[in-house]
Amino acid sequence: MSRLVRAELVKLRTVWSTWVILIIAVAFTLPGGLLVGFAPHNNGIRHLIFPTEGTRAWFDLVLSTMDVVLDLALILGILMVTGEYRHKTVTPTFLYEPRRGRVAAAKLFAAAGAAVAVAVAGGVAGLLLGFGLVASGHGNIAEMLGAFGHVFPGVLFATVLFGVYGLGLGAIMKNQVAALVTGLGASAVIEPLVASTVPAVGRWLPGEAAQALESVTAHAIKGGHGGGFLTGITGLKLVTWWEGALALLIYGLVFVIAGSLTTLRSDVT
Amino acid sequence: MPDLRLQGLTKRFGSVLAVSDLSFTVGPGVVTGFLGPNGAGKTTTLRMLLGLVSPDSGTALLNGVPYRDLPNQTRAVGAVLEASGFHPGRSARKHLLAIATASGIDRTRVDEVLAMVGLSEVANARVGGYSMGMRQRLELARAVLGDPEILILDEPANGLDPQGIAWIRQFLRSFASLGRVVLVSSHLLAEAAQTVDEVVILARGHLVGKGRLSEMLDRQAATVRIRTPEHEQARLLAALRDAGFAPGCVNMNDATTVTVQGASPEAVAPVITANGILVYEMTSGGGSLEGLFFEMTEGAGLGDMVPGYSPGAVPGYVRGGER
Repeated sequence: MSRLVRAELVKLRTVWSTWVILIIAVAFTLPGGLLVGFAPHNNGIRHLIFPTEGTRAWFDLVLSTMDVVLDLALILGILMVTGEYRHKTVTPTFLYEPRRGRVAAAKLFAAAGAAVAVAVAGGVAGLLLGFGLVASGHGNIAEMLGAFGHVFPGVLFATVLFGVYGLGLGAIMKNQVAALVTGLGASAVIEPLVASTVPAVGRWLPGEAAQALESVTAHAIKGGHGGGFLTGITGLKLVTWWEGALALLIYGLVFVIAGSLTTLRSDVT
Repeated sequence: MPDLRLQGLTKRFGSVLAVSDLSFTVGPGVVTGFLGPNGAGKTTTLRMLLGLVSPDSGTALLNGVPYRDLPNQTRAVGAVLEASGFHPGRSARKHLLAIATASGIDRTRVDEVLAMVGLSEVANARVGGYSMGMRQRLELARAVLGDPEILILDEPANGLDPQGIAWIRQFLRSFASLGRVVLVSSHLLAEAAQTVDEVVILARGHLVGKGRLSEMLDRQAATVRIRTPEHEQARLLAALRDAGFAPGCVNMNDATTVTVQGASPEAVAPVITANGILVYEMTSGGGSLEGLFFEMTEGAGLGDMVPGYSPGAVPGYVRGGER
């Protein structure tokens, strides 16, 4: 099994899409944080919900832009399966390992590992941004590191689970475009829609479950009133962090297993 | 001794019976050609051997076990399939490295096989920029990465130039001469005739012939073919039977070709003249794989290989608007 996982990692680091994803993780977090942190002050809604510059809550908000890595891990997971079908590399893959469930399992571990790398890339960018802000006189280093300590573990955990969830989507759908549209479309359009209309269901959807997970540490510090910046607006009551983690894990595993039993089993012609 | 055994292999895709109750064995030390027209079921059969397509019934065993139960697939069996299956952005070396990693093969073997197929100089270039011939060579390099005992190739000459084809012919011969198994499919008969020792002929999913190519050609060379109008067919067949021959018959277009195996024109011609039968043409000999192939595939009543795909009865171009 370890050979199969290593082979998956070789495949990942030898295509440009992996590196583009890592670059985006860095390139998006840096300006994204600045944009959120220094949005125009004369915005009505901003005064109601926006924390004071330099506080821990403000750093929480600025650093939470690193959660773009969730969607990036989702994309990476999707590409790990659908890329094989798109370029027909699935043929050599199933030739060296005809037990397809083992291939799926190896991809699962590799996707989790790759998601850690993506999360770390976002985390490094977040730290750089944080140190930059401190150096330029926006808050002190203790508040910044404290905020990083809230945000990053949840993001890291959620990113790993999103990588597995993406892999599962890819395994079920096999078609790259369909899986990307479904995965990203769900998190951008369908989930928020469901969350606002049927919150009882919506809060269990992957994006919302991830939000619950991301706010895990912030949640504890703030004394349990929880919720991210966006849910502060939508008013969606999130599930607890461990419920979110469990939900995401189930999405990922169920999809990967369902994919290995159906799509991945079909004839490769 | 390595070998391949197919037993009652059957596969249906929807309403199309791709492979029907196919059984044959392939032994070591010779190059075995797997021949048949397009759509005969060759690729499906090879993919079933390799566990990529699951048969509806029957078994395909390599060294006595199904592909998935081999201890290390890459070391036991090499397969050259269509020349795709590469990520365009990955280099040839990295493509092979991933497979070597998965199969526990030393990475020095990667450079060895790349040199073997003549891709050393472009080993670090993206496969997306490769020509068809280069991809075919890379596919071959992948197949032999594990130094396998069995080599299965699906139309390996596709996309190769004449030098490349001659090269692969030598390659297959030297591989087989090591006492290993080579099964190579082809629809290019002229090429196959120069490469293979044994043949397995497939038509519309059925096995229609198997044996040593040289013996089959000898048998075919000793066949007289008589082309006659359809209304003379019955009389000709009866006359030949009366004279002690065992004629066969192939209908094509508006004419009939009657074949008489193990006979000479000198023996057959007097029968025709004595009965005053109208004959368009009488031929014998040839002994070509192409002749053999047509007789076997058409004689089996399998002239149109794919249901719904029937080329014009008489080859020729039809201009738009013509009636």
